Amino acid sequence: MIELSIDGRKVSVPAGTTVFDAARINGIAIPTLCHQQNETPVGVCRVCVVDVGARVFTASCVRPVEPGMNVSTDSDRVRAARRTLVELLMSDHPSPCARQQHSGGCELETLAKLSGVTKPRFAPRGSSRGQDDSSLAIAVALDACILCDRCIRGCDDIRGNFVLGRMGKGAQTRIAFDNDKPMGDSSCVSCGECMVSCPTGALTNKFVVSTALPAAPGSEPVAPEELLALPLFKNISGTFLELNQRAVLKRHFRRGEVICREGEYGSTAFYILEGKARVSLSSPIAYVKTQGGARGFFSKLTSALAGRSADRREEEGNQRSIPIDAPVDLAYDNPVAELGPGDMFGEMTCMNFYPRSATVRAETDCTMLEMLRNVLDILQRNKTFRAQMDETYRRRALDSHLRNVPLFAKLNPEFLDHLRERVELVRFAPGQTICRQNDPADSFYLVRLGFVKVSENYPGGELVLAYLSRGDYFGEIGLLGGGPRIATCTALDHVEVVRICGEDFAEMIAQFPEVRSGLEQVAQERQEANRQRMSLVRSVPLEYFLAQGLMEAQSLLVLDLEKCTRCDNCVRACADAHDGVTRLVREGLRFDKYLVATSCRQCRDPLCMVGCPVGSIRRRNSLEVIIEDWCIGCGLCAQNCPYGNINLHPFTVQAEDPGAPGRQVATVRQKATSCDLCTEHAEPSCVYACPHDAAHRVDPRKYFAPLLGTGTGAAKS
Amino acid sequence: MRIDSTHKPWLWISSTILAVALLLYVFFRTPRALGSQGGTPLGLGFGIAGFTFMIFAGLLGARKKVPVWRVGRAQTWMRGHLWLGLLALPLILFHGGFHLGGALTSALMVLLIVVVASGIFGAVLQHYLPTVMTRELPLETIYEQIDSVRAQLLAEADERVAAIESAAPLAEFYSRRLRPYLENPSAREQPLAGADQAQAAFAQLRTLVPPELHETLGDLENICEEERQLTRQVQLHHWLHAWLLLHVPLSLALLLLGAAHAIMALRY
Repeated sequence: MIELSIDGRKVSVPAGTTVFDAARINGIAIPTLCHQQNETPVGVCRVCVVDVGARVFTASCVRPVEPGMNVSTDSDRVRAARRTLVELLMSDHPSPCARQQHSGGCELETLAKLSGVTKPRFAPRGSSRGQDDSSLAIAVALDACILCDRCIRGCDDIRGNFVLGRMGKGAQTRIAFDNDKPMGDSSCVSCGECMVSCPTGALTNKFVVSTALPAAPGSEPVAPEELLALPLFKNISGTFLELNQRAVLKRHFRRGEVICREGEYGSTAFYILEGKARVSLSSPIAYVKTQGGARGFFSKLTSALAGRSADRREEEGNQRSIPIDAPVDLAYDNPVAELGPGDMFGEMTCMNFYPRSATVRAETDCTMLEMLRNVLDILQRNKTFRAQMDETYRRRALDSHLRNVPLFAKLNPEFLDHLRERVELVRFAPGQTICRQNDPADSFYLVRLGFVKVSENYPGGELVLAYLSRGDYFGEIGLLGGGPRIATCTALDHVEVVRICGEDFAEMIAQFPEVRSGLEQVAQERQEANRQRMSLVRSVPLEYFLAQGLMEAQSLLVLDLEKCTRCDNCVRACADAHDGVTRLVREGLRFDKYLVATSCRQCRDPLCMVGCPVGSIRRRNSLEVIIEDWCIGCGLCAQNCPYGNINLHPFTVQAEDPGAPGRQVATVRQKATSCDLCTEHAEPSCVYACPHDAAHRVDPRKYFAPLLGTGTGAAKS
Repeated sequence: MRIDSTHKPWLWISSTILAVALLLYVFFRTPRALGSQGGTPLGLGFGIAGFTFMIFAGLLGARKKVPVWRVGRAQTWMRGHLWLGLLALPLILFHGGFHLGGALTSALMVLLIVVVASGIFGAVLQHYLPTVMTRELPLETIYEQIDSVRAQLLAEADERVAAIESAAPLAEFYSRRLRPYLENPSAREQPLAGADQAQAAFAQLRTLVPPELHETLGDLENICEEERQLTRQVQLHHWLHAWLLLHVPLSLALLLLGAAHAIMALRY
């Protein structure tokens, strides 16, 4: 034991005890900011300075006691020094900070008040250190950070996550996540330890508007303790659950009750605790077909619904299952599946606010957890939950996912078993780069959730080559050629990809030569298409042409305004050809003397495809946009089209009565339609019906070549 | 339809038909003293050809009613309508030997001349006016939507002015001059209906209001300009399509009377 004196009191403490702890044990409080009892002391804030009779004051939290030490914790000189330190910290601290505003719990501001610091004498920092709003759960305000390192020690020492650290030097020093990534994009698991450790408003819980789920019939709140008892919430921060109590509800559904409907917008995900649920599509599996004109000379065109089996279109896909927002895919021939305890559905809707991809009905009496985005985000970052979801995916969906890609349909079960244990599910936040152009190619990716943008950089900017959705793959070109990545792939929303590492990919193509030849063919086609696009970009200099998006169009409906008498015969013809629902509006932007009418442009950058909850809008090999027959009519593609060129066509069909399962009733269902170029005929109806030779369906780059000075074409000024 | 170089084939075909018909008429016409030209085989031939062309020209209206029928491109029908319809006049003149005949035939001839003349007038308008509209109306909208666009413009202007707290000259200008114009742009003696007058009025107003209101003034000037373009669009649209009110009914009457004349002439 070591004998010393603190503020005149003789005390005795074990050797190795710090002065701070010696005082605390003996009931003497020394103010501090950077020190917490459960963390290793670092002595960076110096607020706990005491006078031990040495040349300078010492930080009591790191200074071990010595025999005969005479410590003064509250002398005038010590108080003055501490006051100056607090004043310096306060001069660079926004007062009141977020924590002080919410709970009055900012330790620095409390200390300043106790020390009588009202207005610091020192000038504040000239510029803001910024804030990071990328995490759904935690707000980062760097201006309020005092660099006490409590968050870093909480993350590293207590939780062992090693996400937080310091970045920069001198006045530029700040806390940072991973290698200075935004918190939401980092490997942070949102455990909340940093937030709990932070003494100021630098790291606070986000009080997002509407984080509470409205109470619904058959719902009940869930206590954090109850949630923590579930395997799903293992290792989730109790503090976080405490702060977000109303963001998770327990819902009870009776047998037959609809839990969510396809096409509806939602913001929650469901986790099944008890019971079984049936997932199905109530929209007819059929696409909108224009028919009639080709059969007879005078027969009128009509729109009707036709399925792949009844009428196979050119280049029709051979997909055997329909991707939905659940751990299973639906079989194309019988789009019904069952979900049970431990299954989660609605992740895409919850994270990206996409429409529901399928109708879910309680097969038995069910109990589920319905949760909001901030809770799901925390879960998805949690290692235990991710392991559980990975396991479910590998067990239930990986097979169908791989086999849905025609190239992999021939993989044998043994190899799939081999892959099952080796593939990795990787998650990316919106805007995050999955792989970068010119980086070495080391993996092959299959998209499991979300949308991926594939783009190529060129001296003038970035050219979008494709949007990939669930079931699509990328990364094969670099691996096959052994060279670097030829394009950059970026997550457009919350994306999950299945990563097959280069070694396994090499083994796969060595073992299955047909997979190799198929991939090589696809890679060759993609490279050729990319080359063509890049050559176009370089050959079209007109900014105006680019600004109107005409460069992106493959087929434009243009009206020569010097010939058009505004008779609207084109619009009438389009409406007549499609059951009174026109897919053309005689209005739009002008380019020279041409009106670019509102009608599908078959864009090279088809934004309409982004977000389709069931992946039913795609491009043919000819790059023509095609809407598959399992479209659920949610209308997201119509919203996404920047030119308003996608319409919803209502049809009366027989569908299950929502109020009486098993009974069929006539219901109006919508199907998305865009200009189909009247493919039944040699020429689109609008062009065919124009009596003034004003309407033309053209390839803009060729047609406008004379105006752009890039060659000869039809357009003349 | 714009008459351009793409009409050359039709011009050559029509010219050839006309030349052949003229030669036949010159060399084989029946002298006046021997009776009417229309009853001779050649005259009858001219009459049948001319009436067939008229029927073909008249069928354009029917063709437009069924735009998706694959019975030939509408522009081909329109070219046929223009050239064969025009050709019908000399053929009918050859048919009648440049004589009007009785009351019915006289009426028919007058009708034909009016129909052809109105058609030529319409063709000239359709040749020039689309270019004028394209040049003068960069803010052109769909004709049927003009009323709702006008209502939107008025609401937008009201909103802009309501947002201003104190600017007496601007408020007075709006209530006394601009709003009445936006409410009734086609009324006579609207000083803002002319582009030059409007420009002068807004320029003068700019000197009377503080600079922070110049942006609002710019918005109001744009609204005024759009309104002026809408008014001009209505005028041009009427010019472009109103002649059809004469051309179409007279064409129908011509076809009906022509059919009656053919039946009567062949039967009696």
